[in-house]
Amino acid sequence: MDKSTTSVGVRMADGQTSVIDIKGEVTAASEPALMSAYEEAERQGARRLVLNFSELEYMNSGGIGMLVTLLVRANRHRQPLAAYGLSDHYREIFELTRLDEAIAIYGDERSALAGQAGHGQTGRSG
Amino acid sequence: MNPAARPASRPAPRRLASFALASVPGGERLALAQVAESVADLSLPPERLDKLKTAVAEATMNAIEHGNGSRPDLAVDIEVFYSGTEITVTVTDRGGRGDAGWAGGGETPDLARKLSGEQRPGGWGLFLIRHMVDGMEVTTDGERRTVRLTVRAAAPGAKPDG
Repeated sequence: MDKSTTSVGVRMADGQTSVIDIKGEVTAASEPALMSAYEEAERQGARRLVLNFSELEYMNSGGIGMLVTLLVRANRHRQPLAAYGLSDHYREIFELTRLDEAIAIYGDERSALAGQAGHGQTGRSG
Repeated sequence: MNPAARPASRPAPRRLASFALASVPGGERLALAQVAESVADLSLPPERLDKLKTAVAEATMNAIEHGNGSRPDLAVDIEVFYSGTEITVTVTDRGGRGDAGWAGGGETPDLARKLSGEQRPGGWGLFLIRHMVDGMEVTTDGERRTVRLTVRAAAPGAKPDG
């Protein structure tokens, strides 16, 4: 069990927002896959990013650290981050770590895309 | 001793599980699955079970990586007990000579400081555990280190614990 079982896909949802679909687990070992996805989103010209956690199975403290790293990169490029699909448990972890103050949390993709399009800044919604 | 003065004896906690894991990355997934299975009959509310699993995973990760240095030949020993009102999980590694940052708690993770670069991105494990369980204790005998996690859990069928 020493290899990440993270599956990541990137798709352009509208002209300026890329959705990063995350399946499986998010741990420290997920960093290469997620950073590769971020780089792909940049190549696609994304100005905004949405993380889809609806198929997340497991996340640990290493994964949270990896999300912080992703946030640092996104902030550096002034790319607002949003997320949807978090279970109640992981939503609570986002609140405990205050990740929900840096990554806008939504209930579904449609809300996330609308929120990202309407807000240049992060904020909690949905 | 006057029997009338004898304090009421409490039954010893019932051991629900006892197992060992090799100290390899990802081993915490096995730990949380086995702990979850061991408490399945206790009908824990889902949110409390999720918290217990997260705490066990984090404690096990620390045992694997810091206590045992990710050495596959060193085992992490895990036991689960139930007293009727409380679930206790002990996670024991061979890192008794150091506290790996657990004893004093270390620096409290602060997202703003991490985003500004003042703190490293990681370091959330102990923080998570403390918010997931009702009690946490770290002990060492100089050779082995044990993290003891406690979660209140009413007996199945009893009034739920808020």
